[in-house]
Amino acid sequence: MRGIIWANFRLLLRKPGAFITTTIICIAFAYLLGKSSFTKVEVPVYSSLPEEEVNLIIEDLNKGDAFEFVVEDEQEVKNKVAAGSVEAGILLEADSFTLYQVGNTENFHLINQYVERYYIKRLKEKAVIDLAVDTNKALEKINEVKENQLFQLSLASFSDEEQWVYDPGLQSLFGFALFFSIYTVAFNVVEILREKQMGIWDRLILSSTTKMEMYIGNLLYCFFIGYIQIALIFVVFKYGAGVDFYGSFGKTLILIIPYLFSIVALSIFLTGIVKTIGQFNALVPLISVSFAMLGGAYWPIEIITSETLLTISKAIPITYGMELLKGATISGLSYSELLYPISILILMGVVMMGIGIRLMERRHV
Amino acid sequence: MLEVVELSKHFKNKKAVKGVNLYLEKGETVGLLGPNGAGKSTTISLISSLVHPTSGDVRLKNESIIRKPEKIRKILGVVPQDIALYMDLTAEENLEFFGRIHRIKKKDLQRKVEEVLDIIGLTDRKKDLVKTFSGGMKRRLNIGVALLHEPELIIMDEPTVGIDPQSRNYILETVKRLNTEKNITVLYTSHYMEEVEYLCDRIYIMDHGEVIAAGTKEEIKAILSSEQSIAIKVEILKGEYLQLLQALPNVKNISVQDPAITLIVPKKANILKDLFKLAEETKTNIISVHIETPTLEDVFLHLTGRQLRD
Repeated sequence: MRGIIWANFRLLLRKPGAFITTTIICIAFAYLLGKSSFTKVEVPVYSSLPEEEVNLIIEDLNKGDAFEFVVEDEQEVKNKVAAGSVEAGILLEADSFTLYQVGNTENFHLINQYVERYYIKRLKEKAVIDLAVDTNKALEKINEVKENQLFQLSLASFSDEEQWVYDPGLQSLFGFALFFSIYTVAFNVVEILREKQMGIWDRLILSSTTKMEMYIGNLLYCFFIGYIQIALIFVVFKYGAGVDFYGSFGKTLILIIPYLFSIVALSIFLTGIVKTIGQFNALVPLISVSFAMLGGAYWPIEIITSETLLTISKAIPITYGMELLKGATISGLSYSELLYPISILILMGVVMMGIGIRLMERRHV
Repeated sequence: MLEVVELSKHFKNKKAVKGVNLYLEKGETVGLLGPNGAGKSTTISLISSLVHPTSGDVRLKNESIIRKPEKIRKILGVVPQDIALYMDLTAEENLEFFGRIHRIKKKDLQRKVEEVLDIIGLTDRKKDLVKTFSGGMKRRLNIGVALLHEPELIIMDEPTVGIDPQSRNYILETVKRLNTEKNITVLYTSHYMEEVEYLCDRIYIMDHGEVIAAGTKEEIKAILSSEQSIAIKVEILKGEYLQLLQALPNVKNISVQDPAITLIVPKKANILKDLFKLAEETKTNIISVHIETPTLEDVFLHLTGRQLRD
């Protein structure tokens, strides 16, 4: 069995093209479609305040996820706004700010709202300090309150059919990772059929290796290769693009296991029902694209209203894969709360693998 | 060593193998001949335990292997007709892989790989990818894989198909050496009669799923001992001449390889006069006439009605 895995990895090293290409395409698609949530909107600012004070304001403003405030000189800011290369420019003053804009854009209002909220807070703090007898004590008190909020807030997740949270970045990342992994896994599983046709499988049967070891060796490799690809994509987005996994990065790496198991089983099932590799090559894109559409990989399944489509989606592994990944991250669900989709994926995997191997044994001797 | 008893295999609408009986003694080389579709490959698959028979038995050292195929698998090396190798691995890596799946111990594996590479003459190309090899080199490696676990019995299914004469000679010499020096029993199928004549002690001829003749080369040739073969070479072969030859009462078999015609006729029959007379009538120019003792090829033709390479 280890020999089979060893040979497969050797072959991958000799011809890594398909693996690298699908990984890059997946990263590109996920990045482009989720771009708005991966990149910050740049806002150039200028000020006549002392540099130290400006830096403090910028530091505070840059604590948010959506905007990146950059200090530049006045002319440069105005030129950029006039040329339309930025959506807004800002003049920062001690108690107020001035926004420069060329036209109304979606982000302009958000920038305005964000900076306005910051100044209201800043003015309140200033008022407290101005009214205080002991300025240092007042500052200390303000910092203390900042660190230990008066009201302790705790965040709780919710899962409701009527209400759902949409994170475009994670939606596209999870969707495309699960979608492209079908290709990676399926085109590796079908190598079993190719080996059978080449006579290599017969050689394995006649060796001391048992048939079960032959299947396990090949399927484990297909599982590993799919796992490595998804994990690699997640790592690139977490550490490269700074995507927020809501603190559940490790959990997502565990939750792709049942999904990949079902995809390996699906691939062996498809290999079992086809007669030739050509048929398989035609079938895989059909299956994967329709699964991605119905299973909520391309868009959130929550926006689908058709009862028929929703019923069909219940029989598709991607539906449960997305449910697991979004549940663990966006909704913050625990393993026990995710037990249902995990069980369905395992059940699907066991059934499809059983039928698939049986068909392969009967049809492709 | 190995005995095949009344072996049959029926597929949905086809009886591929019908009651085949054959045996192999330790250390001998046995040829299995037959035209395409004769049932040779199915017979080989049945013997090597890849396919389960409909009826009959395969006995190895007096023990049935139908229910316990692992008995034969341990001592068997199969050289398939197709090149069953990984094209994107090197020769050495292919041997290492198949050695590992045969559970050859790590400490012995490297030595055995080197030994096999030496036998098949690929030591200096061991680090090259198989896809860069010539057809002959691939065939040699295909044989090498079957030798790794030091089998007592090797089944070779047309191991020289589609290669140059030099590689073919190398393979034939290798098979001969394995048989004589290592006392390996060989079951050899081929489309080339001269290979079988050169290598094999005994021959089985199959057609339509049945063994139609068996014996040593001499015994098989003796089937046509009362006949002779007349090879006629003509300038331009005319259909009319051929028809008239076929109509002659003593012609038992006729085969055409334009511009040559081979007739099998009884030794006692004097038909030379008729040959020339008919040639004159049909204005056919005869270039040469050879009278020979029948070859294995002639016997095969006589028994199956087909050339071996048809």
